[in-house]
Amino acid sequence: MSHVGTAEAPQGRGVASVADPDAAIEAVDLVKKFGTSLALAGVSFSVPRGSVFGVIGPNGAGKTTTMRALLDIIRVTSGRATVLGTDSRNAGPELRRRIGYLPGELILEGRTSGRRLLKHYVDISGPVPRGKIDELAERFGLDLDRPVRKLSKGNKQKLGIVQAFMHQPELLVLDEPTSGLDPLMQQEFLGLVSEAREAGQTVFLSSHVISEIQQAADVVAILRGGKIVTIASVEELRQSAIRHLRMMVTGVSPAELRALLAPLDGVGNLECTRNSAGTTEATATLGGEIRPFIQAISTLALTDLVLEEPDLEESVLRLYTVPNAAGPNGDVS
Amino acid sequence: MTTVDPTATMRRAPFPIFGKVFTDSWRSLIGWGLGLAAASALYLPLFPSMSGDAAMQDLINSLPPELTRTINYDQIGTGAGYAQATLFGLIGFLLMSIAAISWGASALGGDEESGQLELTLAHGVTRVEVAVQRFLAMAVKILTLAGLTFVLVWALNGPSELDIEPQNLFGTSVLFGGLILFTGSVAILCGALTGRRVWAIAGGAAVAVIGYVFNAIGNQSPDLEWLHALSPYSWAFGANPMTSGADWGMVAVFYGLSLLLGAVTALVLRQRDIGV
Repeated sequence: MSHVGTAEAPQGRGVASVADPDAAIEAVDLVKKFGTSLALAGVSFSVPRGSVFGVIGPNGAGKTTTMRALLDIIRVTSGRATVLGTDSRNAGPELRRRIGYLPGELILEGRTSGRRLLKHYVDISGPVPRGKIDELAERFGLDLDRPVRKLSKGNKQKLGIVQAFMHQPELLVLDEPTSGLDPLMQQEFLGLVSEAREAGQTVFLSSHVISEIQQAADVVAILRGGKIVTIASVEELRQSAIRHLRMMVTGVSPAELRALLAPLDGVGNLECTRNSAGTTEATATLGGEIRPFIQAISTLALTDLVLEEPDLEESVLRLYTVPNAAGPNGDVS
Repeated sequence: MTTVDPTATMRRAPFPIFGKVFTDSWRSLIGWGLGLAAASALYLPLFPSMSGDAAMQDLINSLPPELTRTINYDQIGTGAGYAQATLFGLIGFLLMSIAAISWGASALGGDEESGQLELTLAHGVTRVEVAVQRFLAMAVKILTLAGLTFVLVWALNGPSELDIEPQNLFGTSVLFGGLILFTGSVAILCGALTGRRVWAIAGGAAVAVIGYVFNAIGNQSPDLEWLHALSPYSWAFGANPMTSGADWGMVAVFYGLSLLLGAVTALVLRQRDIGV
């Protein structure tokens, strides 16, 4: 089945039982308590240098808490995180100069223009090449001379993206980076991310839009209730994702068809009915590999078969809600 | 298209956190300065008409003595006592306390509450740097206004026939600056402790209001004089520094305590989770 690691089963890939010195981020068993509530319940993952690592999960899953812990804005209760080879806790300014950060709730205020605000961040960031700010602003169609407080949410977000990328950091930590951006600008942003990867930069980003993660990320972690439910490559997620199928068969009764299909691995929500034309119709969802299914139906007299593109969103949503979800590979009932 | 020169990097300003406070709030500094100037120009020139005028003295004598003691008007027979009671002890104290509390509250507590401190701390600065530079920026603004008060009173000393000894005026201005700095330091510390603007305002306002109220009550009778010991306002003005000169030991207490609070602020901010 697919090669996934889970928080409960640390033998999988991406789980840091052995520290990887080449990793951009190495998080080991991060636990964060706020009073009595547990925001992170043992999060472990590893982000290889030069890769794009996406985190998805419902609100309150711990995405923002994880990112803030990496930036030393909050301190974890236990566990540790190594960022670019340095322990993130009480890390000095040298480490953060090598990181670009975009907070999830970006708040920018003040009378000053976007240009002056960015100049301030230049003063406290890593070295920014001359002309870089203007290049990024042009790319996003951002007017740097307007007062920050008069900017729309989308334009503030663009300002946030510029300050995260302008010093060409080795690591980008981006919390919901496309929120507030229109679809055109989202594409521009995804272009920026893939350029960053080509330039050898590492990107750690969160999103609630699965299609965006699918497009940008090499590896996806799904976070729920302060735990990583699964870490898998986008390709693995896609393979294990649920497909919807519909088929028409002649010569078998609904009961016979059910008896054939129901025992197959990964088949769910099976419904078999006889329609008015006398053919038998079956609809079902199919998770995991499709070969056993294809072999099972090869003897049937099919008149129609529709096997849809795997729906990543649906399989991810299922992981959000199913208790004790173990993986995306269809072994969850 | 703009060209990016990868070899040339943008120049970086020294002490960016300190400087940013002034680029953000120079308007407010000028506004408070104008307020102090207006208050001085309104109050101080009235002194000749008040001291020379028997009817005015009668009016003050006819007020309940508790009231005159509360607002320290029992001292206004001399120019020095008048300037201390009206400007340093009342309207100037009020204006400067409000300014210091609002600056202290926005420095860390307000900035954290709005969510902007998080982004600053994600850059190449330490929390101690941020706390120290913002504390120093607040101190510079407060001392600038205290210095302005000195200049204003000094300039009006002759025209308003106040007859204040310049060294006493200087000492009082230094004490005044110390009292206000202490108030602002409590505000900045409360902001760093809680991450909330409202608690920072509450902390600073408690120092100013309780100090003023305890001084006023302590003035009423010898039985209540012990309240003066708990009133920073009374520490500063209880010994009538405009008339008898400033107690430099007390000056050291105010500035020493303020620096201590600034140091505690930096340590507190270093330990906390920000923006939770």
